[in-house]
Amino acid sequence: MRRRPGKGALVLPPLLFVVALLGVPVVFIALFSVGLRSNIPGAPVAFSLSNWSDFLTGGGGAFRGRFVYSMEVAVGVSVVTTIAAYPLAYFLSFVARRRTYALLLLLLAPFFTSYLLRVIAWQIILNSSGVVNSLLWGMHLRPQGDPVSWLIYSTFSVSLVLFYTWIPFVSLPIFVVLENMDHALQEAAADLGASRMATFWKVTVPLSLPGVIAGFVFVLIPTTGEFITPLLVGGPNNQLFGNSIQAFFSATPDWNYGSVLAIALIVVVVVLTLLFGRFLQTDLRAEAEPGR
Amino acid sequence: MLGGAVLLDACGSPSKSTSTSPSKRPPLAKEPGNLSILEWPGYEAHGTKAQTNGLLAGKAYTSRFGTSGITYTYITNDDQALEKATAAGPFDLMHPCHENLPDYVTRGLVQPFDTSLIPSFSQLNPFLAKKGQINGKQYMIPWDWGYGSLTYRTDHVAASDATGWQLAWNKKYSGKISLWGGASTNFEIAALKLGFPSMDNLTTSQLTQAKAALLAQKPLNKLYWDNEYTQLQPDLKSGTTWIGYSWQDTLVTLSGEKIPVAFLNPSQGRLSWLCGFMLGANTKNYYHCHDYVESYINHAACAQMTNSYYYGTSNATVKPSDIKNQTLVKALKLGDPSAIAASDVHLQSWSPNRPALEKAWLEIVAA
Amino acid sequence: MRPVSRIGSAGLAFYFWAFVLFLFAPLVVLLIFSVNSSPTPTLPLSGFSTEWFHQAFSNAELTGALVRSVFIALVAAAIATALGIVASLGLMALRGRALSMALTLLLLPLVVPYICLAVGLLILVEVLGSGPSLIAVVLGHCVIVLPFAILVIMPRLRSLDPAMNEAALDLGASSFAALRLITLPLLAPALVSSGIICFVTSFDEFAIASFLAPSGQPTYPVFLYASARTPALLPEVIAVGALIIAGSLLLVMLAEGGRRWAELRLVGANADTESVQSEAEDDQPPATVAMASG
Repeated sequence: MRRRPGKGALVLPPLLFVVALLGVPVVFIALFSVGLRSNIPGAPVAFSLSNWSDFLTGGGGAFRGRFVYSMEVAVGVSVVTTIAAYPLAYFLSFVARRRTYALLLLLLAPFFTSYLLRVIAWQIILNSSGVVNSLLWGMHLRPQGDPVSWLIYSTFSVSLVLFYTWIPFVSLPIFVVLENMDHALQEAAADLGASRMATFWKVTVPLSLPGVIAGFVFVLIPTTGEFITPLLVGGPNNQLFGNSIQAFFSATPDWNYGSVLAIALIVVVVVLTLLFGRFLQTDLRAEAEPGR
Repeated sequence: MLGGAVLLDACGSPSKSTSTSPSKRPPLAKEPGNLSILEWPGYEAHGTKAQTNGLLAGKAYTSRFGTSGITYTYITNDDQALEKATAAGPFDLMHPCHENLPDYVTRGLVQPFDTSLIPSFSQLNPFLAKKGQINGKQYMIPWDWGYGSLTYRTDHVAASDATGWQLAWNKKYSGKISLWGGASTNFEIAALKLGFPSMDNLTTSQLTQAKAALLAQKPLNKLYWDNEYTQLQPDLKSGTTWIGYSWQDTLVTLSGEKIPVAFLNPSQGRLSWLCGFMLGANTKNYYHCHDYVESYINHAACAQMTNSYYYGTSNATVKPSDIKNQTLVKALKLGDPSAIAASDVHLQSWSPNRPALEKAWLEIVAA
Repeated sequence: MRPVSRIGSAGLAFYFWAFVLFLFAPLVVLLIFSVNSSPTPTLPLSGFSTEWFHQAFSNAELTGALVRSVFIALVAAAIATALGIVASLGLMALRGRALSMALTLLLLPLVVPYICLAVGLLILVEVLGSGPSLIAVVLGHCVIVLPFAILVIMPRLRSLDPAMNEAALDLGASSFAALRLITLPLLAPALVSSGIICFVTSFDEFAIASFLAPSGQPTYPVFLYASARTPALLPEVIAVGALIIAGSLLLVMLAEGGRRWAELRLVGANADTESVQSEAEDDQPPATVAMASG
């Protein structure tokens, strides 16, 4: 297509839209975090790094601890989810030859239903008189009325629900990379005498690594900011960093400190994106260039 | 309260209020009629879907105007209520407790009632009515009052342990305790346990000590409950929890279900509270709101409320003899509203360091 | 030698189907309890009843929240798709650094955690003085679904044969007419996909709505969250939830079917007989795969 010089300007309206509704709010959060704005009526407004120093090094140890816990949960869930998703993607790509896309859609379908409803469904399944417990009582595997305590409001329940939510989505990039892989390479390895396991570990897995990492990032980034699941299935000790942010903006007047936490989370996520960004969506940029 | 009133005088008139002057107010028939109410769970008007406890209050309103126009946003605790009213409002009516009343006024969230539009207002106990006034204007119409303490299972908790607020810190009952999620309330409890003279006016050092005490208590908690009907009461009933912070309605409800519970009378004294209705500063339903409040504070509604929840009522025409359980009436002094300000209880009041308390509370929650 | 042994294939198939069961189990639980007559969702089941559906649809708050969410989602999807078309057209004309930067900025909402964006927008509406409003919710949703619109529309736009557009221009059509009469119809499958993905995302969005929806006017997720903690309302919530789940699954199947149908029609219109036969035979990747592979 002949490149039309003026047409590039068409990105400006959407860009301005994103700047106004994303950039400006983030700038305001930053202003709140350094005390340049306040929502407490009558409070003094002046540049101050005291909230930042409190969070990073001072008395805000509780929030740092909560951040560490959140990252542990996020990384843990991401690792487990990615490993568990690999065989699903492998099945779709190598075993389910003719119905690949139909089965992929089957796998993805729950992902397109309401997230909140799925979490509520798990709440019903796991809670102390829910499906699992009443099943155990009914089968006399546990005394009546005695629920399994770690099933709900625990790190287990939060992690399980996050795992459940993201596994279909994580399978996707792994599947894509396995599909696009030239299967002749596996055949060549076989011709050279490699066993199936050797081929798998020495050829398939290394070549699929970009997709695996993409899947890992697909689940890691949203999970660091997760706060809805802990609200419904998490106990007081399983609240994530996003919950602390939410609490500051709904339960207290101190938006300044909450803004510090929000900016910290944004920074972490941006850093993760920069680190892993090359595994995400590079094809889009290449394909967008005209004249290919 | 006094401190709050002084602060108000210093601040001058409220900033955000743009309440319409009487001449510009549309009459009842022209008001939209859709009330958005900030309310405690369990206090929804009679006839609404959410009212499942059989409360009679509000019947006069819903019989006349129907239920479809009423939306409730729930209060989990007073600190959260104030923030919700500020950030997520505007509400037509709010029903928090009176300790943050000065803040509601300073922030311009509320306007005074026109008590001439509320016929039953003249029946209200003057002591309580005065508590709802700031600068002589009736900002809060008091409705319910009562006590806060620890409700405990008498079949699991030794009587010798149940002597004071320190029961919530007793390691013997670790994992079986459930405090409320209210920041200021928990700091008041800690202050009483530590023996500080003024629970709502803590010095910085006292605040630090209270915070440390609450941090020490946290591991003993099963959870900080938000909703007494879905969390506290079922947990006490099933024995998941043995000790929980509650108001006296929990004692009454569970006793009615034959669960052996008692409402602790701590040596340091119980907490007491007073709650009431406040009118949104920019409400478009001025007359509807007054009618709604009237449907709650009339004699029949108040008598029935006390007979259900065993909270005190502000309507002085409800006599102790109108209440069924006379033992409870005597034990809780339900006939005498001024009991909430007596020296053996601690009325939850305005605290000048509420922002610091709340931030400290969030740290405790995050720890 | 096949890449996977027979045992391996059987094992993987078992793993896959076990997972499908695991994924659908909670949805089935909701469906079952929506017609269970007991007001508490617990086993054993107590009998069939459609009572909860009646109660749900006579609950004005619930239906109001549903209608509000549908409306917001429709508007947000429309705006985002329109902006997505504009953005895609513009991105096609850029290259190098400009393209990189523009793309990064436009896709930024994918990365920012929704809770941070929600509080940022809350601050914004407080600063502007307008406070929470449904319009704020719509705009907030537009910003988060715009990247999805772009990711769906861009590949489709790229894959169009430029000759069609050029031919139209050579025949004297204005740029805008060429856009309207040639490009947009060819983009139709992507526009439909974009619309659906944006609609579903907005309809289900909780974080932004919880902060920006005015208190008497909750969106459906906000109402759902509040009701999920009230046992009295739980059966109704489950009933409506079951309907929404069934509806979403139906929508997914319809969208996929519709997309294949549109592909077939348009492949025919491209007058490329070879590709008609080969493309029509194989499974086609759904929009999400196209998004993921770029």
